[in-house]
Amino acid sequence: MRDDLLDPRAVLLHESAPDREAAIRLCGRVLVEVGAVAEPYVEAMLERERSISTYVGEGVAIPHGTNASKEDIKRDAICVVRFPGGVDWDGEQVVLCVGIAAREGGHVPLLASLAEILLDPDRAKALREATEVSQVMKELT
Amino acid sequence: MAQRTVAVASASGLHARPAKLFVQEAVRLGVPVTVRAGDKAVPAKSMLGVLSLGVVQGTEVTLEADGPGAEEALDALVALLSRDLDAEEALDA
Repeated sequence: MRDDLLDPRAVLLHESAPDREAAIRLCGRVLVEVGAVAEPYVEAMLERERSISTYVGEGVAIPHGTNASKEDIKRDAICVVRFPGGVDWDGEQVVLCVGIAAREGGHVPLLASLAEILLDPDRAKALREATEVSQVMKELT
Repeated sequence: MAQRTVAVASASGLHARPAKLFVQEAVRLGVPVTVRAGDKAVPAKSMLGVLSLGVVQGTEVTLEADGPGAEEALDALVALLSRDLDAEEALDA
């Protein structure tokens, strides 16, 4: 995975959220705070989620904006927010959110390398159970 | 073995949303289908597998299946990949 995508400040490992919308808002806020996206991107992430769930398996969801929201992306970035208590995701239990902001051309390769990592059950488990930022950085950069 | 090759039509390739619609259809059809792109092959019902192929618009993928219902399942999945699912999203919005 490209090593300039994940800012250690964009890794939150001990969060909780009452529902999917709150979890996505939190991911969006993290992306705003590290300067990756402009504020309207957060609403676009919610809009995308309403259109179709971003659950991908292994207890992981990958919230990201709509195609129309690409202009709100300042630089390609991801964030990692872990919910040890789980979040109900349209019937699935999500423990880890990887929020994604990637411009044209960057999105598909980013998803492919992320999926490659999550297809390895040991690495997916390491991410779901991470308690230190360094563990996440090791798997994702 | 039934086999079809198709170029992916969705503007942004086979990523989260088009990939999800594809995987949902593969699960619904209930016939084990393999998707090949380049030297990789993954089960069509695996979201992570499909995403890991990194398919962009115009990439040719090959679908393979065996047994009863294989031909019909491949026809349905090829029809889906031949559509620009991102354009349909824009119409929905």
